[in-house]
Amino acid sequence: MRQRLRDPVTGLLFVLPVLVLFLIFRIFPSLGAAGMSLTNWNIGGEWDIIGADNYVRLLDDVNFWLSLRVTLVYSVVYVPLTMLVALGTALLLNQVVFMRGLFRGMLFLPYVTSFVLAGIIWRWIYEFNGLINGLLAKADLGPVAFLEQSGVVLPALAVVAVWKGFGYSMLILLAGLKAIPSSYLEAASIDGASAWQRFRRITLPLLRPAIFFVMVIETISAFQTFDTVYVMTGGGPARATYTLIYGIYDHGFRSFDFGYAATWGMVLFAIVLIVSLVQRRFLDRGNT
Amino acid sequence: MTITTTSRPSVRVEAARAARRRWWRGRWPLAALLALLSVLTVSPFVAMFIVALSPAGRPTVPVRWPESLTLDNITRVLSSSGFVTWTLNSLIYALVSVVIILLTSSMAGYAFAKKRFPGREAMFWTFLATMMVPFQATLIPTFVLVNSLGGVDTFWGLIVPTLANSQAVFLMRQFILGLPDELFDAAKVDGASEWRVYWTIVLPLTKPILATLGVFVFLWHWNDFLWPLVVGQSDATRTLTVGLTTLRTEEMQLSLLMASAAVSVVPCLLVFFLLQRYLVNSIAMTGLK
Repeated sequence: MRQRLRDPVTGLLFVLPVLVLFLIFRIFPSLGAAGMSLTNWNIGGEWDIIGADNYVRLLDDVNFWLSLRVTLVYSVVYVPLTMLVALGTALLLNQVVFMRGLFRGMLFLPYVTSFVLAGIIWRWIYEFNGLINGLLAKADLGPVAFLEQSGVVLPALAVVAVWKGFGYSMLILLAGLKAIPSSYLEAASIDGASAWQRFRRITLPLLRPAIFFVMVIETISAFQTFDTVYVMTGGGPARATYTLIYGIYDHGFRSFDFGYAATWGMVLFAIVLIVSLVQRRFLDRGNT
Repeated sequence: MTITTTSRPSVRVEAARAARRRWWRGRWPLAALLALLSVLTVSPFVAMFIVALSPAGRPTVPVRWPESLTLDNITRVLSSSGFVTWTLNSLIYALVSVVIILLTSSMAGYAFAKKRFPGREAMFWTFLATMMVPFQATLIPTFVLVNSLGGVDTFWGLIVPTLANSQAVFLMRQFILGLPDELFDAAKVDGASEWRVYWTIVLPLTKPILATLGVFVFLWHWNDFLWPLVVGQSDATRTLTVGLTTLRTEEMQLSLLMASAAVSVVPCLLVFFLLQRYLVNSIAMTGLK
């Protein structure tokens, strides 16, 4: 009896610190974002409710549509590329026993570093007298202005993010591969299935949940790209790398147009929500 | 009889050798490809360290290799007061966050897993729902809030908003759910206070998951950029990631820039070399990112 009375009180007390933190710094700002997007909040903290004006402005804003396109193009390059590299390396690690721990560690290494560091190293690698152009010059090629051409710069940034991040997806996929019973593959191979058939008909279908999980995670992270853009291009050249988050930062902390920046944030929220809901739906279908 | 016993090991060795040779015949290209990809992946780091240890000038690895290596750049970076301040700020940001997040999330995780109290489910699902709201979407209101509380360019303004971590709470709750109730009940029958149960039973039992979470929280904060960028507006609270972006190649030698970058990555490398197996296993098991 005493136990039952004691439980609710201690339960609440133990949750209290986290509860307070969440209420103030997660839930309040989440609601605040929606509220602020309806105001013309500025640096002085003055604001009026201006209704849907920010959203109307957004729909009319060339830069908004441009940034949406930049983010989308970036994702379309980044997600398949990182999936391909992660799946390829995971398959190799699953096949090769020789020094597996060492290779896995080497491939995973960039993941523990920061995007800022990746940006700084790769800014130099892409430079005119950097690593790649140095090699190209030796072959009497180039130089290529990786970060100064609008057609090249997004793939160039995607490569940096792939390099920095694929280790994570690789480990998830590797765990998925290890969970496939080897008896399935052996049975198929006794029945005369070729390596490609075994991959296509057994490995790939059984790996689907892991592939899907990684794809959703990577899509969301593609939509949140900021650090490499800030370090390597500053949104340029000619806004060719002006991503959604860069737009939030630019409007919020360069123009101090907080109300409008919050409106950009709402778009990001909507996109991430849709991706998460799609994931939910697919996972539910997979379970039944 | 004697013949069979003496020949058996050598037969086995022979068979193993043959198996290995068969394996290599089919798969040496795969091993070679894997080795190549691994070397390519770490080569930017190797290049960074070589340039960091090169004498001034613009050595262009791998076209022009430095003739000798020197620690000059590293010592110059370490004697610049700005760099040292940023490093200390990053350490404070990361370590304070680790301690507080481990404490608060294990307390909440314990309550969510083993206590019954009104609103428990609603609260827990609200926490989970906030995972779907990306931090960047609430960047502006969070900044305005911290600014109105006078937290811009202070350590509490830098640290406190990042302590509400739903991944941590979720992970702790899932782990503690798997522990048998008897462990906690026995202590309570003996008359231990709730705090004592938490301190002497919950914390020791959750050590493995706390260690994993601690490593991740450290890396998240050490590598964090956007929030420190907008809140840490002067050197007093600027973290290392933000400080590094203020260094420009136009104004400083490449070897110094790379030396700064190289020093900044040392804690990550330490974590990596000491705890790699831990990191790898926990990503595979929990999907923690």
